[in-house]
Amino acid sequence: MNRTAIITGASRGLGRTVAEFLAAQGYGLVITARGEEDLQAAARSLRRHGGQVIALAGDVTDPDHRRRLADAARGLGRLDILFNNASTLGATPLPPLAGYPLAELEEAFLVNVSAPLALIQEVLPLLEESGGLIVNISSDAARGGYPGWGGYGITKAALDLASLTLANELSGRWIGVVTVDPGDLRTRMHQEAFPGEDISDRPLPEVTLPFWAWLFGQPPAAVTGQRYQAQSERWEVNASALEAVAV
Amino acid sequence: MKKIELDFDRPRALQADGPPERRGLERDEVRLLVSTENGHEHARFRDLPRFLAPGTLLVVNTSATLPASLPAWHAGLGPILANVSTQYGGGLHLVELRKSASEPGPLPVEVGDAFEIAGLPARLIAPHPGLPRLWFVRVESDLRRVMERAGSPIRYGYLEAPYPAIEEYQTLFARDPGSAEMPSAGRPFTQRVVDALRAKGIALAGITLHAGVSSHEVEAEAVEDQVLYAEPFEVPKATAEAVTAARQEGRPVVAVGTTVVRALESAWDGERVRPAAGFTRLMIHPGRPVKTADGLITGLHDPLASHLALLYSIAPKERVREGYAEAVREGYLWHEFGDSHLLLTRAVPAERPAA
Repeated sequence: MNRTAIITGASRGLGRTVAEFLAAQGYGLVITARGEEDLQAAARSLRRHGGQVIALAGDVTDPDHRRRLADAARGLGRLDILFNNASTLGATPLPPLAGYPLAELEEAFLVNVSAPLALIQEVLPLLEESGGLIVNISSDAARGGYPGWGGYGITKAALDLASLTLANELSGRWIGVVTVDPGDLRTRMHQEAFPGEDISDRPLPEVTLPFWAWLFGQPPAAVTGQRYQAQSERWEVNASALEAVAV
Repeated sequence: MKKIELDFDRPRALQADGPPERRGLERDEVRLLVSTENGHEHARFRDLPRFLAPGTLLVVNTSATLPASLPAWHAGLGPILANVSTQYGGGLHLVELRKSASEPGPLPVEVGDAFEIAGLPARLIAPHPGLPRLWFVRVESDLRRVMERAGSPIRYGYLEAPYPAIEEYQTLFARDPGSAEMPSAGRPFTQRVVDALRAKGIALAGITLHAGVSSHEVEAEAVEDQVLYAEPFEVPKATAEAVTAARQEGRPVVAVGTTVVRALESAWDGERVRPAAGFTRLMIHPGRPVKTADGLITGLHDPLASHLALLYSIAPKERVREGYAEAVREGYLWHEFGDSHLLLTRAVPAERPAA
């Protein structure tokens, strides 16, 4: 049976690039994003690779929508990768924390922390059956303390901690949980963070493909609990996997 | 650092077109250029122990070479070569497609193209970013087993027939199959050289770095911007501890091959070398100095090779370039079956017992 993945935020940018990479390898895909039109355009492109693509437009903060995504994966027969990529920057242009609109901070928490966690809860049994991998997309803003990036950064720091905690709680089971900082990329989200600025010096999301090729080739136990930078000069398996290799 | 700083003149004739054994030499009878802060000396590789101090730690690459060049067939292009660079797991491989040993790519192929590697179905998934001659390829079958049946060592146009067999590519230290191309710095080592080293109190430790297909010339104008592809590496606990102890006790660490420097530097945490495994694409250049080694045993590298930037961070650029000028003058041979170069950061130790 072909391997499968759920990808959120799949109609453009990093999510779209990873979807194309997996579709080309014969993965069955469940993809989602809020805009119906862009999502269907992405689905048409992905289907050229010949695999199954289920495109469900909707909001990841909606419990019914998350249930539909899980049901679709169940319909494909298995789930190998949950790619939690959909995010919001929060308030834009990026305001300093001292004056941050709290309603928008709460909204950012819903999209960037609660929704990915809820989707994990929804598909955990499916992932466990196939020894799957949860990928939560983070950011260097989770650690940098960059002025203006506080709202977004707080949510990504929370997602980092959620990932590490889950990895510890699930250790010994056949599930991996990693967070990945993809680095600066030439995407619409990055442009929205720098309105009016020229971001053409940032690389396209394809620059991260070697990392995904590596990550998806690793057994979940070798990578679980790690936080990776997709554009860094090395990616390591964790120490317990190394002991296993040495023996 | 500018690309031009990696350039030099090397007459085409100065390249080994086959193993030294075909020239009537033992592996350890190739020439050895020794470059230190006191200048350059010429010797044979088997004299190596003379140039290393007791207490030195030599770190070698234990990767064995695969017959990674496979015949392939593409509907639009006919017969081509698939040089398998790196295995990623999950049926995914990084592959260099080329017309023949002497005709490199990139070939006019596209994402999604179905083709055959040694008769087995394969598919082009995506080009490697920044390196259009390398492709991610999906193959359902185990390519290692296919290589046993249908593979031959990757070779380039400068080798002369009869071409070396896979055994001729294995170093004395080869243990873990995985390199697309021989970690060639270890090739001149023979048991008698290792025995002589041990007798002098020089220890050996191993890392693994599975070398991919040869990197081409640096193309970026600034050397630091050159895109490298990632390669699998492992620094075992025992080796990490041995290197850290040598650093702390002030004993020299000499890397056998640029792959060893890259593996050790990838495992360096700012204070010590830790056990580590994964993929690395670390680019070493004078702006990112080497912290884990005081010397390097390596072959002679081509003009514009990214390896030269690594050499410049082991010893000053002027010393390396002077050494290369001497090597050209003295008729040293380049490439994987050629002569050898010991590059030390400092002087050869004063104590020099007869070999």
